[in-house]
Amino acid sequence: MSANELISKARAQQRTSLDEQAGKSLLAAYGITVPQSLTVKTAGEVDAAFGKLKPPVVVKIMSPDILHKSDAGGVKVGLKSAAEVKDAINTMAASKQIKAARIDGYLIEEMAPAGQEIVIGGLRDPYFGPLVMVGLGGIFVEVLRDVSFRICPITRIDAEEMIDDLKGAAILAGARGRQPASRAAIVDALLKVGGEGGLLMTHAEEIKEADINPMIVSETAAVAVDARFIL
Amino acid sequence: MNKNKYLQDFTPFFQPRTVAVIGASTRNPHALPNVFMRRIREFGFTGDIYPINPTAAELEGHKCYPSLADTPKPVDYAYIGVGGGQIPAMFDAVRDKKPGHVRFAHVVSSGFAEVDEGRALQDELVAAARAGGMRLVGPNCMGLYSPRGRITFAEVGPVELGHVGVVSQSGGLGTDIIRRGRNRGVQFSALVTAGNCADVTPTEFVEYFFADEETHVIGLYLETAKDGRRLFELLRQNKAAKPVVILKGGRTQQGLAAAASHTGSLAGDDRVWVALSKQTGCVMVDTLDQFVDTLLLFQSVKPNVAHPTKRVALFGNGGGTSVLATDYFSRLGLDVTPFADTTIAELAALKLPPGTSITNPVDCPVGTLQQDDGRVAEKILDIIYASGKPDALVMHLNLSSFVGRAKPEVLDNLMDAALRVQQKYPGQAHFMLALRSDGEPRLEERKREFRAKAVARGVPVYDEMTNVGHALAALAAHERFVHTRARA
Repeated sequence: MSANELISKARAQQRTSLDEQAGKSLLAAYGITVPQSLTVKTAGEVDAAFGKLKPPVVVKIMSPDILHKSDAGGVKVGLKSAAEVKDAINTMAASKQIKAARIDGYLIEEMAPAGQEIVIGGLRDPYFGPLVMVGLGGIFVEVLRDVSFRICPITRIDAEEMIDDLKGAAILAGARGRQPASRAAIVDALLKVGGEGGLLMTHAEEIKEADINPMIVSETAAVAVDARFIL
Repeated sequence: MNKNKYLQDFTPFFQPRTVAVIGASTRNPHALPNVFMRRIREFGFTGDIYPINPTAAELEGHKCYPSLADTPKPVDYAYIGVGGGQIPAMFDAVRDKKPGHVRFAHVVSSGFAEVDEGRALQDELVAAARAGGMRLVGPNCMGLYSPRGRITFAEVGPVELGHVGVVSQSGGLGTDIIRRGRNRGVQFSALVTAGNCADVTPTEFVEYFFADEETHVIGLYLETAKDGRRLFELLRQNKAAKPVVILKGGRTQQGLAAAASHTGSLAGDDRVWVALSKQTGCVMVDTLDQFVDTLLLFQSVKPNVAHPTKRVALFGNGGGTSVLATDYFSRLGLDVTPFADTTIAELAALKLPPGTSITNPVDCPVGTLQQDDGRVAEKILDIIYASGKPDALVMHLNLSSFVGRAKPEVLDNLMDAALRVQQKYPGQAHFMLALRSDGEPRLEERKREFRAKAVARGVPVYDEMTNVGHALAALAAHERFVHTRARA
């Protein structure tokens, strides 16, 4: 499905957001790396599907009624075999909160290589149009609000300066013996989201807010592990 | 070419040949429209003035006309200060009789979208102006100050044409900017108060100021930016070809609430303005003082884009002042670091009295400065320029410390020395003067005198080192942006 089809399909279904899989397909359409994944409707389809992926994998619930998947017990990581995946799905399906929701299926996804978590976001300012944001993941964004914004479209220099703006920039560069995160991969992802012809500029009229959280950045790549788009 | 379009379109506004005035009173000569008619004549306006009044024959010595459509020549600029509710019908008369007869209507009246109950009236006003074929500036403002058009709403304003172009959404701040600017030596190419910006936006004036050769630096006081994207695109495209200084009201949540009730619509968010500044090189300032201080600096010095300002030399009296200024400048990203050994050796060879510090900051007690009746400053400054080679040099004098301790001419000699040496090394370092005082009337008088002297030679003068610091940091930010982004 093309990017426009993904958005119009969600709209036709009167959804105000893209589900995780549609969100990742949208990112992939703009060249952003997302994990290999596939979806199953039930645990019964797992055996046929599992061989196409490289374990370990993660399983996530897909439901328009569940916004915070982890809180609802709808995420299970580090699964190494088809049996473990089936177990995870059966446990989820039995849980009270998930039983009460509409279930689109289950997303089985390869785990991203280890790295540092960042967030790339977007929002539409009523006067300035789309803005793009970058921040370090976890408490850096949530508690310290260590983020940097720019007005789209951004240039390569803008993307570089956004990273330098962060108080935690040194952490990304590999402070205190951490594995450094690829700066080039972050710049590249920022340009694909917020640059000229990028995702936010192209869909400025449709996308109200975007949240790629987390994006896991290793020494070589930046992988969008979860994504939400509010239409 | 777009540029020519804005120059052409706005020339009747900034240099009108005909001015209509609505709202003048036959009984009250102090009504603003009456005052405006007298002021522009005193300011040298020689074009036609048409008071609009259906019953009076004459106002302030000018023949009255019943409506905007009845004036003998088309109206370039209409100053409108009458109850807001009456204005749409006046525009309708133009639409019905002579559409396009009025080029610009500057509505100073209030009671429009700055208050909830005035929103509908503002929409009506805009629609009527458009139907009548005119551009609307305002409403809810004070008017225009344009030396080259000999138009002024302000009681005082230099007749001289300057190089600073300002748009202020607030009328009162517009007056403050003219008055404070005048006392500091800022001279304007024009200052527009634009109020609610119901039709013409600040961005359109910025387009004009970028194209206008007289304008070298642009200042904006904004409360809203409904065409924010257009402002962003314009500034980005111009790559800080002229410095743009923005004082944005309503950057905090509390300020935002005040802005909504003041000028009539919600403002953007602070982080957008930070982003705008980083992406376009415009300079954001936080206070009216910083705004005037920064405009003054850009008016006075030529930005050194080949070598952005970093190293600053301080020279003056007051050890504590030097220390505090060094800290403050450092927080603003400026370096006040010691000179090279050779420079220090040259200064040491002057054998200045004990208590003098010569490493940078160069701190000279009054006793040192009055050597040779103050001419010693020339030798010190010469070495700082020739050998120390800073990017900027700030000379600060605490006028209070000279009282009762030195002959009056010492201060004159210090000032003359500073100005002379500065002219010996043209373009080598930005030179700024801080004249510090304690508010004592006699000192203030001297300070005013010195300031006039310095300003006449293009040297900007500040009250305190903190003011210098902010202005210099703004200049450095502009230089860095042009250096890294615009020269390629």
